[in-house]
Amino acid sequence: MKKSLKYLLLVPGIVMLVVFLVMPLLSTIMPTVFDQGFSLKAYIDFFKDPYYVQIFMRTLRVSLIAAIVCIILGVPTSYFISRCHPKWRGLLMAISIFPMLTNSVIRAFAWINILGKNGVINTILMNLHIIDEPITMLYTEFSVLIGTIYLFLPLMIITLVGVMENIDNDMMEAAESLGANRLTAFFKVVLPLSLPGIIVGSVLVFTGALSAYTTPSLLGGTKNMVMATLINQKSTVLGDWTGASVIALIMIITTIVVMKVLNYIAAKLDKRGESNA
Amino acid sequence: MGYIRLKDIRVSYDNKNNILEGLNLDIQKGELVSLLGPSGCGKTTTLRVIAGFIEPNDGQFLLEDEDLTHVPVHKRNFGLVFQSYALFPHLTVFDNVAFGLKLKKLDKNVIQEKVDAMIKACDLEGLGQRFPKELSGGQRQRVALARALVIEPKILLLDEPLSNLDAKLRINMRIEIKRIQKKLGITTIFVTHDQEECFSISDKVAVMNKGVIEQYDTPEEIYAHPKTEFVARFIGFENFIPLKKKENHVYVGENGALFHVDNDVDCQSCQATIRPDDILVITSVDNKENILKGTVEVRTFLGKSYQYEVATELGRVVVNSSNEHIYESGQDIVLLLPANKIILV
Repeated sequence: MKKSLKYLLLVPGIVMLVVFLVMPLLSTIMPTVFDQGFSLKAYIDFFKDPYYVQIFMRTLRVSLIAAIVCIILGVPTSYFISRCHPKWRGLLMAISIFPMLTNSVIRAFAWINILGKNGVINTILMNLHIIDEPITMLYTEFSVLIGTIYLFLPLMIITLVGVMENIDNDMMEAAESLGANRLTAFFKVVLPLSLPGIIVGSVLVFTGALSAYTTPSLLGGTKNMVMATLINQKSTVLGDWTGASVIALIMIITTIVVMKVLNYIAAKLDKRGESNA
Repeated sequence: MGYIRLKDIRVSYDNKNNILEGLNLDIQKGELVSLLGPSGCGKTTTLRVIAGFIEPNDGQFLLEDEDLTHVPVHKRNFGLVFQSYALFPHLTVFDNVAFGLKLKKLDKNVIQEKVDAMIKACDLEGLGQRFPKELSGGQRQRVALARALVIEPKILLLDEPLSNLDAKLRINMRIEIKRIQKKLGITTIFVTHDQEECFSISDKVAVMNKGVIEQYDTPEEIYAHPKTEFVARFIGFENFIPLKKKENHVYVGENGALFHVDNDVDCQSCQATIRPDDILVITSVDNKENILKGTVEVRTFLGKSYQYEVATELGRVVVNSSNEHIYESGQDIVLLLPANKIILV
């Protein structure tokens, strides 16, 4: 095949990308920056409105806390799974992934049953006379957070188990023989070696949480809107498509910034020779 | 009294099959002892019991008469070198070597000094800031050794440390290990399945089979006088001929042939074994003893000699013979088994 001809192979892919990604993206961006000439007024207005800023900050906060909690819960769980006999490892992985196999609406309803005023937790606490009045857990930021963590923890675990499986057990034993107890060995050897997995997992959880719609809309109610639910409200309820586009773009930029920052941190912390950089 | 003592060690993972069965071993201070045996014989398990990774079901591990059987790994202060080296990929050579010293919370200058000295001793100068990925196999091996030695361990444990190196490097490294070991006078246990490697570096060798030590002796003694058939087979004896005792030093084969044996042992019926190199092919039969007649079945060229498989009245015998006389397959030959070369097991 001639050299110039082989670029023809790229045509179908490029056409797909232009028609289904670049063009829609441009048609989303254009109205937000052109208002009788180039202007960033729509964005400035967004960040001037305390209500929107509150939603933006809530979205960031929920995503960030979800990512951190997923790291804290995911790291020990994944380490345990990765050290299990392969026979048990498969089973434990299946159990941890299981929530992902159910529909997110159903999962959200399950949490409504658990967290609601007449839900499982309140009923137990009331019957034990620990509390007299039911605690409001549902339709708060807390319930959104719980639902999000539940939704994305499996992603963190899958990512981390994959990375941790490749850490040779000899490495832990070497650390132990040099005078490290198990915990020290874990923090000095396993954790630094898992860092690439933790970063990837965090990006997945953070971006997933940032754009999640079903969980926050069902568990957060109208008082605890996030960016994704705000887009829906702007576009379908208020018919403000430009406003929705502004929010969409802010989310895209936020995602890119967060990924860049995490990758930068990863590169700073994880240096094991040029060949790996 | 040994410096290291293993007393009646039994290890079993399922309480049915024993990996180690009542293993006993005494090692003197400053010795380099090898555990030699085929895979699955329990040599690595023995090493892991000493290191503390495996708690034996029964038995005791003593170091200078102190019972360490239940002391956790990180409190033993033993140096370990793994087959995979197990270097920490996220740390530089310097930090790998300094790992154990940092855990001891030593002063920074002291750590710097000790690590530099060890890096120099292990011939790693100028590589301190490299990462393990950027090193050759031999260099990684030396980093692993330096990391284990810098903590000034009471014992050095080496688990097949040379098996990932190419042949030439292996020979250099084993001389290097021996040199460092003698210089520091550190008691060392070396696990290997390579007979030559083990004989060349050890003060004493424990040949293991199915969870027990079959023979524990100097390499010279094991080479010359294997005590059991397993040991003999493992170190290159290929011919085994069943014999019955007639009188002291005289044995008789199933065909009635007489064999004089210099090294007599206390047994009524046993096996005579002899190395293929020690059997002589003779032309004239001037005495009737220590003779085996047979027919050449297969001839193979080994380089410095030919190897013949000979069918004799007492079974198949393997003989190595120089290139001066070449015998064809099918040819009848006479074998002389010198009385001083026959070992009874």
